[in-house]
Amino acid sequence: MSDEHEHHHHSHEHEHEPLAADDAGSQALAEALRSSFAIVKIVMVLLVALFFFRGLFTVGPQEKAVILRFGKPVGEGQKALLNPGLHWSFPYPIDEVVRIPITEIQHVSSTVGWYATTPEQELSGEEIPAGPSLTPGVDGYAITADNNIIHTRATLYYRIEDPIHYVFDFVNASNAVQNALNNAILYTAAHFNVDDAIYSNQSGFQDAVRERVEDLIEKEQLGVTVDQVQAESIPPRQLKSIFDQVTTARENRGKLLNDAHSYENQVTNAAAGQAATIIAQAQSGRARYVELLTADAKRFSNLLPKYESNPSLFEQQALIAAMGGILTNVQDKIYLPQRADGKPRELRLLLNREPPAPNGAAQSP
Amino acid sequence: MKRNLLTLVIGAVLVVIFALLLFVFQVRKSEVAVVTTFGKPTKNLPDPGAYFKWPWPIQKVYKFDNRVQNFEDKFSETHTADSVTLLVQVYIGWKISDAEVFFPKFAGGSVDAAQRLLEETLRSAKLGVVGKHQLSDFVNANSKQLAFDSIENEIEQAVRSQLQTNNCGIEITFLGIKKIGLPESVTQTVFERMTSERQILISRSQYEGEAEAQKIRAAADRQAAETIANAQADATRIRGEGEAEAAKTLPVFQQNPQLANYLLRVAALQQSLNQKATLIFDERTPPFDLFQSIPTNAP
Repeated sequence: MSDEHEHHHHSHEHEHEPLAADDAGSQALAEALRSSFAIVKIVMVLLVALFFFRGLFTVGPQEKAVILRFGKPVGEGQKALLNPGLHWSFPYPIDEVVRIPITEIQHVSSTVGWYATTPEQELSGEEIPAGPSLTPGVDGYAITADNNIIHTRATLYYRIEDPIHYVFDFVNASNAVQNALNNAILYTAAHFNVDDAIYSNQSGFQDAVRERVEDLIEKEQLGVTVDQVQAESIPPRQLKSIFDQVTTARENRGKLLNDAHSYENQVTNAAAGQAATIIAQAQSGRARYVELLTADAKRFSNLLPKYESNPSLFEQQALIAAMGGILTNVQDKIYLPQRADGKPRELRLLLNREPPAPNGAAQSP
Repeated sequence: MKRNLLTLVIGAVLVVIFALLLFVFQVRKSEVAVVTTFGKPTKNLPDPGAYFKWPWPIQKVYKFDNRVQNFEDKFSETHTADSVTLLVQVYIGWKISDAEVFFPKFAGGSVDAAQRLLEETLRSAKLGVVGKHQLSDFVNANSKQLAFDSIENEIEQAVRSQLQTNNCGIEITFLGIKKIGLPESVTQTVFERMTSERQILISRSQYEGEAEAQKIRAAADRQAAETIANAQADATRIRGEGEAEAAKTLPVFQQNPQLANYLLRVAALQQSLNQKATLIFDERTPPFDLFQSIPTNAP
């Protein structure tokens, strides 16, 4: 295009040359015009180039962009969002590029349920010591269902679901999300008892906070989705020691019960063992008894004919046989014949089977 | 002439641009605008786009943020129906719903003035609604009795209707309780009550622990005794069965009771003299009666 212009100008110059020769002044003017015209041409080319180059812009990896043409987004809904890369728009005031930062996950923390502290203080452990009471507006807390005071805080991780809505419909959407979180921890504390919130149902508390936040986000149409909620609750610092004592007492109680259960196991197992022994003994006793009697009966049956043939002889034989057995087993046998005069003898027995005391042995050299 | 034509075109373009700047304005997304003619609002532009206007001083454009703005009232005292003093703070989202109404209402559309009105409206709505509820509506373990949501809704309704009667072009998009608190002196009383509740829990844990442990031990002892008693009963039964079985042998012995008796006595004798016995006997005891036939040197 510019080449074409150059060409035209050349033809101009040729046309005017004879006229210009007449008047040196007008020739100088023509010269000046020509050169200024050349400058204007260059400027115009530059402007056109600038017009196109200015329209180029990049969208970074952590952001999206929307082009507003005369104030209206170009494209409908999600289609208006430009992804990372190189894009082109008309220059202002026709188009305006609005960049929306979308780091993958955003987060906000609650601001109403915790005592006055800063993360630095918490890390260094140099917190302001707890006073006897809580100052409204300074110390945050929540009231539980059983009218106890607890400190509770939560962090909400969320993604921006609808960036156009998030940016163009809210002055400060993250603040609205934060207030929803604040509301959620108060609401959750309001239907939890203190022991459930702090000890026995922490995860339930966290889930309830999440549920409430999700409800509020939907109701308030904040255009975000909840990724994660972390909540924590503690008793007031002023009452820490007495709450700890309750924990200790509960642990002690558990220990007492454990001890009792182990005693229970021990006693019942011992009893079961003993019972088994008793029954086993009874059974073996029974078997032995029956066996013995059966054997006796058999022997009796064998002996009966002999006895019946001559009872007194049998008795004598049996007694002598028994005495033989007895005399082999008996420890001491003393034979004491009758006195010749038939009078009874006097016999003194020292009934002491204990071995002699060892000190007797020590005394003797 | 071509040179003049070019100049003309450039001039025309410049004029057009200048005219556009003068006569046309944009309403950006997230904005609403009001056009005033000689100071009077004459046009309401709620949608984004490019619009025409007469240049100053005939017409003037006022633009307002149409996004939802956050606002919180003061953390202030309220009294419940059961005369508990409760500090409550409420947050709202609000936006300009009708710029044409909003603009003249608040001295040139001042957001600060609007917030002052909101603050006042919120305060009276909050006081009125909290005064109708018990403390147990704010905190309750029973979710059916917990009226947290309905308190918020009632405040929202009250604020809405108030704003509607005032007709100020403001819309409430949401409302919620941000903070609840008790007066400082009350927190101390609550601490005292909590302490005594904890103490009850401590003593109850101790008492219950001991009682329950005692119960478990006693039950264990009883169960053990029962087990052994049962075993003993079983043992007796087993022995009884044994005896019953043994009784079958009785007819055998009944054939000759004398013999049976005799054998038993012999067996008893054998048993009793089995060990560690000292037997003193004379010549009348068989088999030592044999000694009778031997002459002795007995005195």
